[in-house]
Amino acid sequence: MHERKVAVVGMGGIFPTCTNLDHFSQKMFSNQSLIREWDLALARSKQIRSTVAGYITDEEVGLEPVYSSLLENYPETYIDKLDRIPAENLATADVGSIWAMVASLDAIKMAGWSTTETQSEDTGVVIGAGGAGYTVLKAAWHNFFELNKKNRWVGGHTIDRTMTFREAANVSCLIKNKGVCEAIGSACATGLGNIGHAYRLIKSGLQDRAVAGGAEATSFEIFAGFDAMQVLSRGFSPAESSRPFDMDRRGFVCSFGCGIVALEEYEMAKARGANILGVIDSYFNNSDGDGDMFNPSFPGQQRLWKGLLKNTNIKPDVVKVHGTSTPAGDAIELLSVVDVLGEDGYHISAPKSQFGHMLGAAGAVEFITALLMLKDQKVLPCLNSVNLNKELETFQTTESWMGPNKPLSAYRHLLPQSAFSKPIQTVACLNYGFGGTNSAMMVSKDVS
Amino acid sequence: MERQEIIAGLVEILSTVRTINHEKLANINEDTDLIKDLNTPSTEMINIVAKAEQKFDVEFDDDDIDELDAKVKSVVDLILKAKERN
Repeated sequence: MHERKVAVVGMGGIFPTCTNLDHFSQKMFSNQSLIREWDLALARSKQIRSTVAGYITDEEVGLEPVYSSLLENYPETYIDKLDRIPAENLATADVGSIWAMVASLDAIKMAGWSTTETQSEDTGVVIGAGGAGYTVLKAAWHNFFELNKKNRWVGGHTIDRTMTFREAANVSCLIKNKGVCEAIGSACATGLGNIGHAYRLIKSGLQDRAVAGGAEATSFEIFAGFDAMQVLSRGFSPAESSRPFDMDRRGFVCSFGCGIVALEEYEMAKARGANILGVIDSYFNNSDGDGDMFNPSFPGQQRLWKGLLKNTNIKPDVVKVHGTSTPAGDAIELLSVVDVLGEDGYHISAPKSQFGHMLGAAGAVEFITALLMLKDQKVLPCLNSVNLNKELETFQTTESWMGPNKPLSAYRHLLPQSAFSKPIQTVACLNYGFGGTNSAMMVSKDVS
Repeated sequence: MERQEIIAGLVEILSTVRTINHEKLANINEDTDLIKDLNTPSTEMINIVAKAEQKFDVEFDDDDIDELDAKVKSVVDLILKAKERN
């Protein structure tokens, strides 16, 4: 039986401090940071620990909230100043869903799909997010529970604009596809998980096309949640706050954004002369299975790589790591990469060092950075990885440790501190999430 | 309160509903059906009702709202009924 392959034919996104995808690409390859001091966080500096983030304002995306006359501070809908999204679709959307719709239209445009493709039964929408629609919920609940307003004043759009899967639902209603419409939720692996699920749908023949990815709208509530866990970076300038692998790392930078890709069955894409941005070689996901909600697992990641490389002998030229800038996560990840790929012959990119951790959108936006690396044949850096530990990590000295026995500093040559050119045929993408979930995908340049 | 005054107030409310074609508001009368004639999505009706409560300073009965159809005449009747109850 002919084995189906899956091509990436379009991409789009919403990125902090960037006006569009080209602007994002230009900033990333020139080693810039998209992280800033956040005024909302500074205003509450007495309550919280960290004040830097990769935030995006409504204004920066061309959106203007319309506040309800009935309630305090409740955005009834949004005006799209750039006329991309019709009013009836804006009415059922929160900001993250609007981002997903804008990015989906960009990806579809790049793919060159007409309504024949987008409205087909063979086209699916698989888009998720990490959190719920907090902005809308917070305002609605404040008015109902604290101000005791009549429920009908809160109105009929709190469910559609805050439910899990709202991004997929809104995109599906916008493009009117007749295939699947669903969302994968896997915490910080969500972005890659949705693309992976869409890949499986196409590979298995259930769908021929998919609009897939992840979104995480700016939410101070989410930021506060992570801040309370004491896991956010503090004590550095904004651009130096996200420092994967660096000895002085002490937490991640909470960020927001959206990444959407258009996937298509390879032969179909080829036949119509589509521009193929990449071909997905493999996708695998698993669980650590050790009962730990938060910490990474070396054996879990070993098994992840085993699954990813199972039916292929491709060796990636670049590994785009999850690399969050957390004390625990980064070391385990680097050592698991070295354990499977060896000590040289590839490089590691850590895009979170430039834009922080976009949570539900992270895996999707980072998959887009992998496509950009394939396009430009340039390796993205691990910014701020200034000092690497010259001593072994504590866990490397335990009896049960089965991984590499060199300190992180031995792998300096794998971690570029600025972007550089080299031939790149294949990029491996890694993302992990709370709950002990691990996901990995390999994507290559189209060779034929 | 005069019916025409209420209709004028309703037009003000409807012009805040972004999913309605505002050009159609010029020719509104008692027989206009908000859903059929103005393409108001049915999910927007409750927001319009709530805004009417605020604008005309009344409170409707839940039963009256449940039985409400989308004709302008019905909404005006509802507002007058609620004002009388007060």
